Amino acid sequence: MTDVAHAHDLHAAPPAPTGWHRLTAAGWLRVLWVTPLFFGIGVALPVLLRWAADWHPLWKGSVILTVELVTTPIGFLAGLGVFDYWAYYASGRPTRPEDHSGHGAHSWRDYFHVNTDHKVIGIQYVVTTFFFFLVSGFFALLFRAELAQPGDQYFNPQTFNVLVSDHAALMIFLFIVPVFAGLGNYVIPLMIGAGDMAFPRLNALSFWLLPIGGAILITGMVMPGGGPSAGWTCYAPLCSHQPLGQVFFNMGVQWAGTSSIMTALNFLVTIITMRAPGMTFWRMPLLVWANFTTSLLVVIATPFIAGSQFFVLFDRVLHTNFFEPGGGGYVLGYQHIFWFYSHPAVYIMILPGFGIISEVIAVMSRKPVFGYRLMALSLMAILVLGFSVWAHHMFVAGMAGWLRVPMMVTSMVIAVPTGVKVFSWLATMWNGRIRFTTPMLFALGFLSMFVIGGLSGIYLASVPIDIHASDTYFIVAHIHYVLFGGSVFTIFAGVYYWFPKMTGRMYNERLGQLHFWLTFIGFNLTFFPMHYIGLQGMPRRVADYAHRFADINLFISIASFGLGASTLVFLYNVINSWAHGPVAEGNPWRALTLEWQVSSPPPIFNFDEIPQVVGHPYEYGVPGAKHAILGAPRPVPVLTDPVGAD
Amino acid sequence: MRRGSIIQLTAIGLVAGAICTAVALAIPWLPVAGGQEAGRIHFVYWFTTVIAICVFSVVTAVLVYSVWKFRAGPDDDSDGPPTHGHTQLEIVWTAIPAVLVTAISIVSAIVLAQNGHAGTNPLVIKVEARQFAWKFTYPNGTSFGTLTLPQGRHVKLDITADDVIHSFWVPQLSQKQDAVPGQHNFIVITPTHIATYPVVCTELCGLGHALMRSQVDILAPADYEKWVAQGGTASSGPPGLAVFQQNGCAGCHTFKPALATGNVGPNLDNLAQEAKQANRGALDAFIKESIVKPQAYIAPGFTDAMPHTFGTQIPPDKLQQLVQYLAKGA
Repeated sequence: MTDVAHAHDLHAAPPAPTGWHRLTAAGWLRVLWVTPLFFGIGVALPVLLRWAADWHPLWKGSVILTVELVTTPIGFLAGLGVFDYWAYYASGRPTRPEDHSGHGAHSWRDYFHVNTDHKVIGIQYVVTTFFFFLVSGFFALLFRAELAQPGDQYFNPQTFNVLVSDHAALMIFLFIVPVFAGLGNYVIPLMIGAGDMAFPRLNALSFWLLPIGGAILITGMVMPGGGPSAGWTCYAPLCSHQPLGQVFFNMGVQWAGTSSIMTALNFLVTIITMRAPGMTFWRMPLLVWANFTTSLLVVIATPFIAGSQFFVLFDRVLHTNFFEPGGGGYVLGYQHIFWFYSHPAVYIMILPGFGIISEVIAVMSRKPVFGYRLMALSLMAILVLGFSVWAHHMFVAGMAGWLRVPMMVTSMVIAVPTGVKVFSWLATMWNGRIRFTTPMLFALGFLSMFVIGGLSGIYLASVPIDIHASDTYFIVAHIHYVLFGGSVFTIFAGVYYWFPKMTGRMYNERLGQLHFWLTFIGFNLTFFPMHYIGLQGMPRRVADYAHRFADINLFISIASFGLGASTLVFLYNVINSWAHGPVAEGNPWRALTLEWQVSSPPPIFNFDEIPQVVGHPYEYGVPGAKHAILGAPRPVPVLTDPVGAD
Repeated sequence: MRRGSIIQLTAIGLVAGAICTAVALAIPWLPVAGGQEAGRIHFVYWFTTVIAICVFSVVTAVLVYSVWKFRAGPDDDSDGPPTHGHTQLEIVWTAIPAVLVTAISIVSAIVLAQNGHAGTNPLVIKVEARQFAWKFTYPNGTSFGTLTLPQGRHVKLDITADDVIHSFWVPQLSQKQDAVPGQHNFIVITPTHIATYPVVCTELCGLGHALMRSQVDILAPADYEKWVAQGGTASSGPPGLAVFQQNGCAGCHTFKPALATGNVGPNLDNLAQEAKQANRGALDAFIKESIVKPQAYIAPGFTDAMPHTFGTQIPPDKLQQLVQYLAKGA
């Protein structure tokens, strides 16, 4: 790991605490006693209140657990020191002046402490989320082993359902959504010419909520009585009557969701207020546009999934009747609220990927992005339309019949801006000088796989076809073509593309290409046959199935093990290259965007001089074109009107 | 654009289209259409497939051509031409997809309306789903664990659930509908073939979800009338077997005489031995208590997962048949 902090010595770090102060100073030692303390509070509070009110039994598992899953994480965060600055401020004690002594990372240990540097947080995010990617991918291999043959071999139905539920929940809430927040965290301040995110302390808090969410979801799996097993969709009323492990799901999603919302707010404020002089909205790289729209989606939609999980939890713990049919609840209400988040969440999981692909294709084809403004506008169109399609997940649910055709039409229409993006990427490549580097291979893999996923999406948008295909393996195939062939391919493209910038070292190109081909082939062999078994009649989320699907399921399971093994190539490549790879230049791709105009890794405050943006970010092939000038004299701050300023 | 490149592009597109068409036709993607509604749904499927193959072929042609022709040499540091956009082209590739999806929407909406049409005199059957069994109740009040339908008549299923959400699906009949507690949903099916198809639950409903299966027997109209006249005695086994099947016991339990293989709950093949171990009275009493009040004794290694409601759901005479059947089988 390379030393990020050249300029660090300019700011003296506070002296290291000694003696008893080591126990009260922020850090893992304090975590060791503050977390148990808050755990104790979490037990004592409900028990004492129940004793005072004379409610029996005093020890009620679901109540104590719910309170526990709030207090224990707060204790962990307090111990680690995430709240220190705010606690000092609120209690009237002198706050420590921000001397930026915490910026940068000197050794791998620094990544395990609270840090306000967006570059450190970005790497914390990406590494943490990839950890959950590996864990939940491993869950998938476990249940694929079970599915290799009909009947029950390795897991009983309860364990199978837990593995399926947690595979999806971890992949969605702990990998795809936050890994984009991590890449964005690293790249966006650099791309817009800012020194950091707008709220660095909030940024640190957002990150540390994430391992909490993941730990809760995984702990729930090993709860006595069984883990969360109602699927990642967690439909009521099934999930209200699951064993206690289900509460871990309800609460784990809250922590991950809170993290998501706070990061999105941070992105919005950063992008709106901290762009370098001259960086108008119409000069922003498309990745910034993509994260801007994604953040709007997150801020508007995520509270709905928080609501759905709280209501389910209240039905269990507080004996409310939001979704209990016996108490006058509205069963389908859960699905409406859940999908009002979870359909926009599909775009939360793909729009940042669109941004990455625009960067990679333009740079590797040495051409400007074709139809830049329409590309940005189609992101906005997807944002708006994305809120009008949620009920296409409910075509067979028994909702109001009249709602089906309008929801079908909006779902169909959203294919139009998505199509515009695909055609624009193709036109960007047309007549280019294409370099088939690993990021570009993943971008091309994304393009072809996402077209297949988009087209199977058209089938599912059509109500009659959806009635046949809903809740079958056709859905499993579709979601993996858009989330794996789509999102995960863009994530790999982004990780390889910015790897030299983030680590200061170059990855191994040959291994990168091997990883791509193994993933691409393994992916298609695993997921393409699922279209067939789904249409033929195999429902999803079953541990056992009809014998006529046996051969094809065995084939899928073998292919999935190959797909899983391809990840080992990636892991070896990134770990080995991070430690021993050749030192990377500042701008190995000869890209124009701002993050490539500084050293790799960037200086501790990103830019030694505030960059002056003078043109568009993708002017490849335009003689003498510049996106930004670095080292120009610091401009006098003037209020400029960003609209049409280019 | 040169004429040569247009010809090459077209050739790649045609090859891609031909391969896709071959894949679409050679593999039997859809099950047999066993009903009028399924036939219409298959039409929408093929209509969409034609459009999808066209779109995919165009994208593939441009992609393959670009990868083939625009590869930069190892020492080539040049940039491509600075093309920023082309307004007419952008309008075209916004408009054409819009037209295509509108066409699919219109066809879909028409088929959806037709598939909801039950005629003036449909056969109405009540479908009740519960963990993990189906119950089909006919207009004359008799109910069964499997579905029997006449060929060629509109059937309207009135679907609901007792506990959690389930979903009714017969792959060959295509129509699917969630069974939602506290709510009645309707679908129409009009079988065209005399056949037996599986009934599959497609909504995750708990531990026995994978085994929540039944079947639909479609009879010629005359045979159906005969079946109704005979009081619908389909299964020829002991009366307890019918109770066992109607209540979905097979979803969770293994019981060899009934060919049940579930393993969510205890195996029922050695009940006599279990009764001794449990030490809760005679075999019959033990079996009855385990059905009516399953929480009273929980077999080692299991949890209190069995619904507590069978005592009220199964009428006393049927319960007696079930107890005898289980005791004898064991």
